[in-house]
Amino acid sequence: MNEVAALGRLPVVNFAAGGIATPADAALMMQLGVDGVFVGSGIFKSADPAKRARAIVLATTYFSDPAILAEASRGLGEPMVGRSAKSLAETELLAVRGI
Amino acid sequence: MKTHPHIGVLALQGDFAEHIQKLQELGAVATEVRRSSDLEGLDGLIIPGGESTTNATLEAALQSLHSRTSIFDTIKRKAQNGMPVWGTCMGSIILAKNIEGSDQGRIGLMDISLKRNAFGPQRESAEILLDIPILGDKPFRGVFIRAPLFLKAGNSVKILSKLGEGFVMARQGNLLATAFHPEITDDDRVHRFFLEMME
Repeated sequence: MNEVAALGRLPVVNFAAGGIATPADAALMMQLGVDGVFVGSGIFKSADPAKRARAIVLATTYFSDPAILAEASRGLGEPMVGRSAKSLAETELLAVRGI
Repeated sequence: MKTHPHIGVLALQGDFAEHIQKLQELGAVATEVRRSSDLEGLDGLIIPGGESTTNATLEAALQSLHSRTSIFDTIKRKAQNGMPVWGTCMGSIILAKNIEGSDQGRIGLMDISLKRNAFGPQRESAEILLDIPILGDKPFRGVFIRAPLFLKAGNSVKILSKLGEGFVMARQGNLLATAFHPEITDDDRVHRFFLEMME
């Protein structure tokens, strides 16, 4: 606890994962102080995975540079689309199927 | 040495934070370098450890955005004009003229040939006590993490530490290369040595 208080952060590398689908998402995580991001479906379920992967990597390095973020975010095609809970059949709900 | 030299640390990826901390402990002004414009006014530059393919890919991706100036090109120009540049581990790969079996993007100014991942995979990463005469009699604890090994050096390169069949520290004028990671040990002699190159 003393070490965490002195450092102002956890003494281990901290990654963010889950739901990151745009360069802006990655940059936001970095601005909040993580050391890096893991992105899986956010890239592979998008329209152009290679382009989006490159853009998210750029956004992670240049998270505090709005001009580069804006450029990197252009022309990436459709992102991963989330699913509304309302569209799920009852058998797909966690409350019914468990984890 | 200048009282407070301004050293940039290339911060595309890798362990730039550890170098910055080390430099600040020694009284230098240390800043992160991500764009060509960040290189203006620097007295010296460190290219840290990391993953060389990732760095080269990032560099190319950045250039592809509205044809921005290549950071590697700007570093090369400044190094050719005499700015001291030190590459650690991956940084030495970016500086080297020849990489065995690879033509990846790099600065390529230092007349050395090296082999990437020469010590084997991650589990072969090791700490090795190094003899570095220029730093004094006390051995230096070299941390090697999937490190390269330098195999050949041109005439203008001074080999500063030998290891096995090759060498792991070398200087060519204003260029310094170490295959190991002095920034993650509590020995600051290599950082001091680099700061003394700011003359």
